Amino acid sequence: MSIFWEGVFKKNPVLVLAMGLVPAVAITTTGLDGLVLGISITFVLLASCVINFVVIPLMPSSSRLALRALILIILVVALYGFILHTRPGLVAGLGIFFPFMVADAFRLQSSEDTRPFGRIVLEALGQGLGFIWALVLIGVIREFLGFGSIFGKEMVSGVLRPMSLAKGVPGGMIIVGLLLALTNVVTKQGGETP
Amino acid sequence: MTDGLDIFVETVITGNLVLIQGLGLYALTRYTKTVRGAVKAGLNTVAGMLVGASILWLLGDIVPTSPTSQIGFYVLVGFVSALIAPRLTGQNTSPEYHVVDTALIGLLLLMAVRGVAGAQNVWVALGVSFGYFVVLVVMASIRERLALAPVPKALQGTPIVLITAGLLGLALLGFRF
Repeated sequence: MSIFWEGVFKKNPVLVLAMGLVPAVAITTTGLDGLVLGISITFVLLASCVINFVVIPLMPSSSRLALRALILIILVVALYGFILHTRPGLVAGLGIFFPFMVADAFRLQSSEDTRPFGRIVLEALGQGLGFIWALVLIGVIREFLGFGSIFGKEMVSGVLRPMSLAKGVPGGMIIVGLLLALTNVVTKQGGETP
Repeated sequence: MTDGLDIFVETVITGNLVLIQGLGLYALTRYTKTVRGAVKAGLNTVAGMLVGASILWLLGDIVPTSPTSQIGFYVLVGFVSALIAPRLTGQNTSPEYHVVDTALIGLLLLMAVRGVAGAQNVWVALGVSFGYFVVLVVMASIRERLALAPVPKALQGTPIVLITAGLLGLALLGFRF
């Protein structure tokens, strides 16, 4: 189980590995955005690792990279189509950058994975949960500061004026940067790597 | 002439792909430790952007009309251009890097949303890639100076890069008003 918890906390894809920066900064402006995006990435990570485990070993090594990319594209497009038909409002909130999870999922998967199936699935599940809580946290902070609400519920109406800066990309970069620094303090990591 | 200037100002300054749109952050945090590394990574992505825009120009008539297929089409063009780009620049870097660069796919998606068509694809790609390249080089120069500054350990690396990029983005936002 340690590999599962590593993905959730110690090697969190967003706050420790700094992998999902584009979803965190460019897309996640509310808690709901973070939740939808986190669940979507978890689905893509899990589904792709199962398909990769079955299909990739049957393919010649020269075509594996392109095939992995193609599997991810198909999964993300299918998911996009599903959300577009069932909850169009969610896609409107996430905007056109929804497919960027392809890039994050691609980075997180190792190209030549020979580990047992259960271990690969546990790792993907842990990373997915890591994505969910980190993106929800970032979304909630940005929504609170930028809109004065949390999950759509007004919190500071008439008390404080929301900071529109938090909704924008530059504000998102500053907030995510400070969260990464806070994570470094908590985990006693940090420092420039060569 | 005015159109060309408008496209240039929007793509390089007020709609900068990295600092205003928030794309290409992987390259911004990973490949800007030195100016040399930033130039190398930047050239690869610039080549990918120009290849992607040229493909869109050539295949403009067969772009699918349904939103779902359209997204798939643009992401696929992005991946193909990312695989072709290193062959054009002759740089021996990891193929994973080229495939996962969000700046490239982001540019293609932005062009789709804005209805950019024909040869204008290439002009927009030129402006965007120039803005992207400049940001990488400027950030690398700042990081080389930051390496000499007493930055607290927790802020070193990605956190300080993001905060610096956020401040640069705020400065560019000032040109919107």
